[in-house]
Amino acid sequence: MPDPTAASAPTRLPRRGLERLDLLLLCVEALDLNGGEAMVWMSEQMGFTGLFPNRVELWKRRCHNPLRRTTRRGGLDPAETDALIRILCALADRLYPMLRALLASAEPEAIRQQRWALFQERLDELVQERMNARREGVQRLLDPERGAAQRRQLIQALALGAGTGGFERLRASLGDPAV
Amino acid sequence: MKQTLRYDQLSCRLQVEGLPDVSIGQSGDAVGIITGWTLQWQGRPELEGRREHLLALMQVVLPYARDLISGVVRPRGTADQPVRIGPAPEGGGHRLALRSSQPETPPLELPLDDAELSDLVRLLDQLRLDSRLQMHLDLPTPQPLRAREVMGRVPRRQRLVAPLGGALALALAAGLGLLLPVPPPPEPPPAAPAASEPATP
Repeated sequence: MPDPTAASAPTRLPRRGLERLDLLLLCVEALDLNGGEAMVWMSEQMGFTGLFPNRVELWKRRCHNPLRRTTRRGGLDPAETDALIRILCALADRLYPMLRALLASAEPEAIRQQRWALFQERLDELVQERMNARREGVQRLLDPERGAAQRRQLIQALALGAGTGGFERLRASLGDPAV
Repeated sequence: MKQTLRYDQLSCRLQVEGLPDVSIGQSGDAVGIITGWTLQWQGRPELEGRREHLLALMQVVLPYARDLISGVVRPRGTADQPVRIGPAPEGGGHRLALRSSQPETPPLELPLDDAELSDLVRLLDQLRLDSRLQMHLDLPTPQPLRAREVMGRVPRRQRLVAPLGGALALALAAGLGLLLPVPPPPEPPPAAPAASEPATP
């Protein structure tokens, strides 16, 4: 019987995939004030200390995002991207109640708007601090109107990719070609 | 012995009943044969069905969720399949349609928001990853989309900006080039004086 948790052969993520992966990790940090610490802790818990021995190494892998202020050239090893995606899925699973609250339409409109405003404020701070503001993609994300759909899409991707079951879905999506 | 697998999320609960397939030596707590399932939604009618209906639900909902992660909203399932899912016609949500196998029973349509869809996906993930469920589920492996499938999520105006801008720049450059005066042809070099005049008698 095939193991449903078995992952298909890992492949190298395109630059666009690395960009989205880092943005999703940034959303986790925007949702959780201790997100950066949680990422390191989760990496250790999941046994990725060999790949990311410390927070600097983890940060260096994330700097392959072309939108970063200080971006690194080249691609990432498939084992490293898989580990980052697994960390992301586990963190999204922990944050699922918050993700769900942002997506639920049953909540009163005022409360929903307040939640989105708080998330946007935190995300904007992180984006301004770490991303290259001259890039069109960064400007679009920071724009309150133009970036709204992209922010919702990032939260939806986290909700649908949360947990062990979301790993393959998220990895397949990050492997999409750039157009 | 009958086994019950139960999975809970905030808006829904999935309960699967089944038996171990003793013919292939499964133990007492395994489920190798699904005899029935129920899906309870908060404030909505309860859904129930057989193994093939549950499989059909997973075969449309999980690929639909995979597309959504890429920002592609593509309906899954056809009118003759027991389960269909797609974007809500009124916008801002999803519509799950279930066709009953009972004659003269109209199809049931459930509107879902993004949170309820995520809950359903998590329930189905919990089920398919449960080690107690020991049966083959014929589910497609998520794959990256093709370029033309991804193109649909980029607005047409945004997609056309680069090629139209390039074509415009080329046309402008060509027009400006045509406006430049054509340089006159270079003067032929003056003929060199003959080395020696022929002697005239």
